[in-house]
Amino acid sequence: MQSLLKEFSAQAETAGAQVILASSPEEIAPILIEHLRPLGSLIALVDTPLVKAADLEASLRAAGFKIEEDGAEFARQADIGIVEFDYGIAETGTMAADATDLKCRLAAMLPLSCVALLPLASIRATLTQVIDNYLERGSWPNYLTLVTGPSRTADIERSLTIGVHGPERLLIIVVGDGGGKDGH
Amino acid sequence: MATKEFKQRLHRALNNSSLRKALESFGDAYVISREAVYSGRDFEALRQKIAAIKSEAAGRYEELADQFSRAVEARGGRVFRASDAAAAREYILKVAQEHGVTDLVKSKSFASEEIHLNEYLQEHGVNPHETDLAEWILQLMPGERPSHMVMPAIHLLKEEVAEVFSRYLGQPVEADISKLVRIARRELRKKFLTAGMGISGANIAVAETCTIVICTNEGNARLTTTVPSVHLAIVGLEKLVPRLKDIVPILEALPRSGTGQHITSYVTLISGPVPAWRGEGESLKELHVVLLDNGRSRMAADPVFKEALQCIRCASCTNVCPVFQLVSGQAYGEVYSGGIGCILTAFFSSLEEAADIQSLCLSCRRCAEVCPGNINIPELVLKLRHRVVDKKGLSPGYRIALHGVVSKPKLMHSMLRAAARLQRPVTGGTSFIRHLPLFFSPLTKGRSLPAIASVPFRNLSQRLEQEYKVAKPHLKAALYAGCVIDFVYPQIGEAIYKVLGRYGVQVTFPQGQACCGAPASYAGDDETAVKLAKINIAALEEANADVIVTACPTCAVALKNDFVELLSEEPEWSERARALAKRVKDFTELVNELTSGEDRGEYKGKEQTVKVTYHDSCHFKRSMGLDQVARKLLRSQPGVELVEMKDCDRCCGFAGSYNVKYPQISAPILKRKLNSIIESGAQVVSMDCPGCIVQIRGGLDQLNSPIKVKHTAEILAAELE
Ligand code: SF4
Ligand code: SF4
Repeated sequence: MQSLLKEFSAQAETAGAQVILASSPEEIAPILIEHLRPLGSLIALVDTPLVKAADLEASLRAAGFKIEEDGAEFARQADIGIVEFDYGIAETGTMAADATDLKCRLAAMLPLSCVALLPLASIRATLTQVIDNYLERGSWPNYLTLVTGPSRTADIERSLTIGVHGPERLLIIVVGDGGGKDGH
Repeated sequence: MATKEFKQRLHRALNNSSLRKALESFGDAYVISREAVYSGRDFEALRQKIAAIKSEAAGRYEELADQFSRAVEARGGRVFRASDAAAAREYILKVAQEHGVTDLVKSKSFASEEIHLNEYLQEHGVNPHETDLAEWILQLMPGERPSHMVMPAIHLLKEEVAEVFSRYLGQPVEADISKLVRIARRELRKKFLTAGMGISGANIAVAETCTIVICTNEGNARLTTTVPSVHLAIVGLEKLVPRLKDIVPILEALPRSGTGQHITSYVTLISGPVPAWRGEGESLKELHVVLLDNGRSRMAADPVFKEALQCIRCASCTNVCPVFQLVSGQAYGEVYSGGIGCILTAFFSSLEEAADIQSLCLSCRRCAEVCPGNINIPELVLKLRHRVVDKKGLSPGYRIALHGVVSKPKLMHSMLRAAARLQRPVTGGTSFIRHLPLFFSPLTKGRSLPAIASVPFRNLSQRLEQEYKVAKPHLKAALYAGCVIDFVYPQIGEAIYKVLGRYGVQVTFPQGQACCGAPASYAGDDETAVKLAKINIAALEEANADVIVTACPTCAVALKNDFVELLSEEPEWSERARALAKRVKDFTELVNELTSGEDRGEYKGKEQTVKVTYHDSCHFKRSMGLDQVARKLLRSQPGVELVEMKDCDRCCGFAGSYNVKYPQISAPILKRKLNSIIESGAQVVSMDCPGCIVQIRGGLDQLNSPIKVKHTAEILAAELE
């Protein structure tokens, strides 16, 4: 697992993402509170197992963030979107998610900053393995997304510029299960 | 005959300096980043895998399209099979109208450009908004043509973009790239959030799971397929692959070959309708897939051009193309560029539209080396050229030159002798001379005309046979000289006698030999090529030699491959061609065989070493694969210090009569080559193609450079003296 994590982090960072390790779900909230403060106050939050386990909503509210969870305007004005991904792919620093759920797609794309929660145990070596994992789950999802780093363009004078349509900041929180062995 | 419009396009592109600068610096950077992302990977194996997947699919489009359609419908989407552009346009408009759409967002789709969707929608009151940044910029510049398939606005400077945005916003905009990108985000975000429909293309379409795969870096396809309540994907039949697993090698190659990235920021796999916000709440959006044929099944049924369907549209063939780097996508068809673009245009638009652009290809084969679809692009371009000639006929100049002179060796040879006496082309008052093999080319800018030898090699050969007579030859070789050695550089022929004689090979020169026919083949004139093939086969058979030795890669390829193919419909001749082909060897190949394992003995004589750099001739390296053999021979030469030049395997721009037809393209390609040679610091530049010698010697001569241009045979011969 450690070598997969190392490769994943290195590749994701090369692609322009920031990777932070939380050794257990409880660690997520303090990390986020610290990192998100300078990025704004309105958060589009997608309710997922990790979000629940970490009790993120309450912690973030308590820290003064405003949380959006629903509605026609969901994520449109938010500064930050928080979503959970199903798998990591070490080879390219990519994350995969079944994004059939509308909110997951909106929160990951509309705000300027995106927080991606990724269970440490879900990092695989290659895309092929991830495809196999989805196939094993049963029905192939209607909307599967692979994300590697922030949104980017080099369309003007080939100069790399981030944040063109999607987020300009991608913060990946790799979450261990609290067993202690997964940490640093 | 090139159309006026094409000539204007070419002229405009060639005179756009920011375009050229952008493409050049991109081309240089691309080669490096491509190499880096493929390092440690087996590119050959990867492209063979992709070629196998795509070629299998191309044989089963009907079946795969059915499977795909059934799967989409089972998941609640709809499929429309569009046989041509008009049908596709009408269907798309109908969907838009049914939903009362006035504005829609689009992510990049070649297919939509191919069917001229935007114009059509606009005419019918629907406004399509391109959301890929470069496409949007171009959309705001009516009349501007895309210059590259993957980076269509690569030729624009930030100042020009700022101007376009100022006009759009009605207020001044600063020429600062990150600010420009921010403006695009803000403006296009409004479109995403209000559009009634999103139109996307597809990079791959998987039949078994009806999955549409879309790659973007900007994320515009994610938004296009997320926010609006209707998603319509336009999918060319050639995007179909049978299995989900088939996407893995394609996704491995596409970003690496396309932009030198390991993966694009976003890869989206859509397999059915998903929720969107519709009025009061979330409900499933409508998913439409337009499966576009528009010439693809015709291509799949064509035994020659089916191969082009292996293309994954990465544009790496254009990134490495020396011609594309000068003329850009602006000179090619409106949608697809470069060598592959000619072929796709011929099938998806018309042969007429491809007629001019196919003639831009130099046949340097650089693109074929990097194509992840493993497509022999230059070969297909040549085949296309034949079809153009079959349909439109040869231009009159070519016709007289090829049928009237080249196909009649006696006449051609006596004209060459006359030309040698007068040292100017003997034209008899006509201009056909321009189309004769190579050395008749008029003085082109930046290149001197080679002098025609006063005594052609064919008149020297008897003397040389005596001079280099081998008492007990262990091998008999017949030299096939080819026109340039025969009539311009007989000294290369002499060097061959010298070197081979030293190794106990008796060389003869069959007098019946004629031009190899390559100039005719490259012009699309098979009739002349067939005639010459037969003349040469008969002449070389008569020599009764163990090997046929050549020192011109173009001739060698003709003898080894083209004759067999040209004569494939005449069983007796094709048998003879095959038997001959087996005996053909390039001079370096033969010397390498003769010297391998042999101890060359102590180095005596010359104290000083001469710096020699090596120019890879396109066909010598890419058709014959002898580039390292030639270097090995040179390196092992006493007194030779081999130094590499930058871009040693870039074309010199000669390509037969190309430099006559397109001097404005050939000249800058030559210039770049000359710079590399000069920068290498070498005193001698060696190569194995007499055509390249004509070009490079002519170029260095114009620069008054002291650098000597030699055929490898001459260098080896000098050492043996
Ligand atoms: S022909 Fe080959 S190199 Fe060119 S775009 Fe297609 S796949 Fe890429
Ligand atoms: S063969 Fe050379 S000139 Fe022709 S398309 Fe390929 S790279 Fe360009």
